[in-house]
Amino acid sequence: MITRPRVLEALGTVYDPELDEPITTLGFVGSVAVDGGSVAVRLRLPTPQCAPNFAFLMAADASRALWRLEGVTSVDVVLEDHYTGAEINATVNAGGSFSDAFPGETRGELDALRALFQRKALLARQSRLLSEVPRRLGDLHGPEADRCRELRRALGIDASDEAAPFVTGDGVPVDATDVRFRRMASMTALSLETNGHLCRDLLRVRYGEEAAA
Amino acid sequence: MYEKDGEKYFIVDSHLHFWDASPANWVKGQEEFAKGWIECFHAYQGLGPADTHWTLEHFQKYSVEDFEKDVFTEGYVDRAIFQSTYLKEWYTTGFNDIEQNGSLLDRFPGKLMVNGRFDPRDGEAGLEQLEADHAKYGIKGLKLYTAEWNNGSRGWKLTDPEARPFFDKCVELGIKNIHVHKGPTIWPLDKDSFDVSDVDHVATDYNGELNFIVEHVGLPRIEDFCFMATQEPNVYAGLSVVIGGLMHARPKFFAKVMGELLFWVGEDKMLFGSDYAIWEPKWQIEGFVDWEMPDDEAFSDFPRLGVEGKKKILGLNAAKLYDIEVPEEYRIPVPPEEPAREESAVAVHP
Repeated sequence: MITRPRVLEALGTVYDPELDEPITTLGFVGSVAVDGGSVAVRLRLPTPQCAPNFAFLMAADASRALWRLEGVTSVDVVLEDHYTGAEINATVNAGGSFSDAFPGETRGELDALRALFQRKALLARQSRLLSEVPRRLGDLHGPEADRCRELRRALGIDASDEAAPFVTGDGVPVDATDVRFRRMASMTALSLETNGHLCRDLLRVRYGEEAAA
Repeated sequence: MYEKDGEKYFIVDSHLHFWDASPANWVKGQEEFAKGWIECFHAYQGLGPADTHWTLEHFQKYSVEDFEKDVFTEGYVDRAIFQSTYLKEWYTTGFNDIEQNGSLLDRFPGKLMVNGRFDPRDGEAGLEQLEADHAKYGIKGLKLYTAEWNNGSRGWKLTDPEARPFFDKCVELGIKNIHVHKGPTIWPLDKDSFDVSDVDHVATDYNGELNFIVEHVGLPRIEDFCFMATQEPNVYAGLSVVIGGLMHARPKFFAKVMGELLFWVGEDKMLFGSDYAIWEPKWQIEGFVDWEMPDDEAFSDFPRLGVEGKKKILGLNAAKLYDIEVPEEYRIPVPPEEPAREESAVAVHP
């Protein structure tokens, strides 16, 4: 049976591609309604003009994650209060792609954009593991390391236990003491974290909510 | 002018607006966008101290008297540079076009400068308008908003071939300061609209002729911006949004962002901009002069910012770019044993 906690669990696997954080912890899930096999989810973003490409990815990923729930018979994802909400909602719920939503305004789909930000996320995540001295990827543990493995797999970078523990965004093994790597990784992490805070602050002000931790 | 602990700061606010976003100025049929835009800006104001927040109604349209009080009377600003932002698809007379901003020039002689704009999608008519704006206002700078919607197009890049004649025209006319503001849309929509690599390209092409001031330091792509700015001598960091959006709301992140900027870009290439009326300059200037890089371990990799650096960021750097004469008492003294170099004289000659 589909329950609210299972829906939220499914939505917890959907990441804001730009911030590399689940949409559930960012507060982007406005409401969830379950009626038998029907699931309706409303998503909300910090501003009405958040970039349409990232907004589309989140809505489409949310729809896919919900369709994977056992026993689901219908899925309705609505991105609310957004400039391009009408185009995105209609396309996502019909199973269409980004270029279907914005005909003539795209050159390709969003795979390259997603990969670009997965590389940034990988760099940022690794900066939080640099205090360790692992010999191989299998020596790294915890949620940051797990997310690095997920990102490496998504990018086609070796994520086996014997693989190099640290890699550049392009997947080239790099020494943890490499100053340039450390500097770029920590700056990328700072960028993603700062953007995440700005998004949270704007969302809170927009919807008149109290500060989250 | 701002004075603290015996130090005098000449303030150039390099990014502010005199806008009209009241419902009377919303384009019919586009109300959703006009309303959404100004409400989003209003949310940004919410990141500043609570006692500086305005009502939405006041924020939509403020008076010349409000502007004078907030910027000059209470805001310490010696010179203010308007960054014209058109958005005429959404606002009938523009959000704050050059006419609207320029209407204040006579009221505050010697205190205001106005920057123009261009949109390469306007073609030949746009080039003529740029020439006309230059003739009328003597503009020394432009603000380019690449996410502007125009006749079904949701944006452009600085590297678009159509933009080239406009940059050449800027060189010809002596409009040398190009402020770049990235936004959430671009053509094609599947690309990252905040990407700053187009700035990198044109900065290289026009090195020695044009300066590129990247507003809000490329946020949300500060890592790409820093890496690019460190390699391009004519790329500058506009601090609007950094001080207003982070210094009060997220002080730890403000310190780290400042640390990265000081490391990669340096205090000679950073420009204060309040982004008024999003945020009033007063609290930003007071807080910035008081600000110190925290002493703990997490910040040990970052350069420190002293009084001289703050003077440069708050006014002297922008004065140099805009040929603004700075009175002797505000300049940074040149050590007597060192012969004065041209760059030490902050725009003595216009």
